[in-house]
Amino acid sequence: MESLLQRIVQTGAEVAIIDITGVPTVDTLVAQHLIKTVTAARLMGADCIISGIRPQIAATIVHLGVDLSNVDTKATLADAFRLALRRTGHSLGRTPTRSEG
Amino acid sequence: MDRIPILKMGPFLLVTIQVDMHDRLAMTLQDDLTSRIADTGARGVLIDISALEMVDSFIGRMIANIAGMARILDAHTVVTGMQPSVAITLVELGLSLPGVRTALNVERGMSLLQSFLDDSDPLVEEPSPVDEGAGAGPEE
Repeated sequence: MESLLQRIVQTGAEVAIIDITGVPTVDTLVAQHLIKTVTAARLMGADCIISGIRPQIAATIVHLGVDLSNVDTKATLADAFRLALRRTGHSLGRTPTRSEG
Repeated sequence: MDRIPILKMGPFLLVTIQVDMHDRLAMTLQDDLTSRIADTGARGVLIDISALEMVDSFIGRMIANIAGMARILDAHTVVTGMQPSVAITLVELGLSLPGVRTALNVERGMSLLQSFLDDSDPLVEEPSPVDEGAGAGPEE
């Protein structure tokens, strides 16, 4: 948590993406820590997006009764990145030069 | 008794906390700020706490209170420059400050307030008595 918050200050980041694709299991402690991190980042002025929550973890989170309703979650890192770009006012588009198929 | 200065910047009030907050100071700030919002009709309040290194539950609650009171007085509150340690402390205390907008630094906080102002009343022309010189926007 500390290292993420320190880096937000250092880089002046507006959005932080927490990708948990590689996390095999989530218990209450981990979930609570995630929420604390997201809340702390929000307090500092950065938005957090959690991505890569696997189905089992989603089920666990719901079963544990952890409330993630006010946290942005995205299926994949790519989705989260797309949302982050939109939040910062950037837009992605294909250049029409190579579109001839 | 010392006070925390409240600066008026166009339609916004700017409060920078440069000293350690103690409870009396926080109470005074709350009283001063609410009366200043009412007096000036400010549309936004920016509280910069980048120099604040320690908070306790009282100060945390005070920030939330100030934001709530400002909201009732039709002013948005943005808290800027919160240190990581302060953010962690507030979270551990269970104070997630709902309803308080935050920004990384004063510059972004100001643009956030400006954006609130821009989309708050799009129909009404701004009858602001503020000169061009007071606005931070670049003239082109």
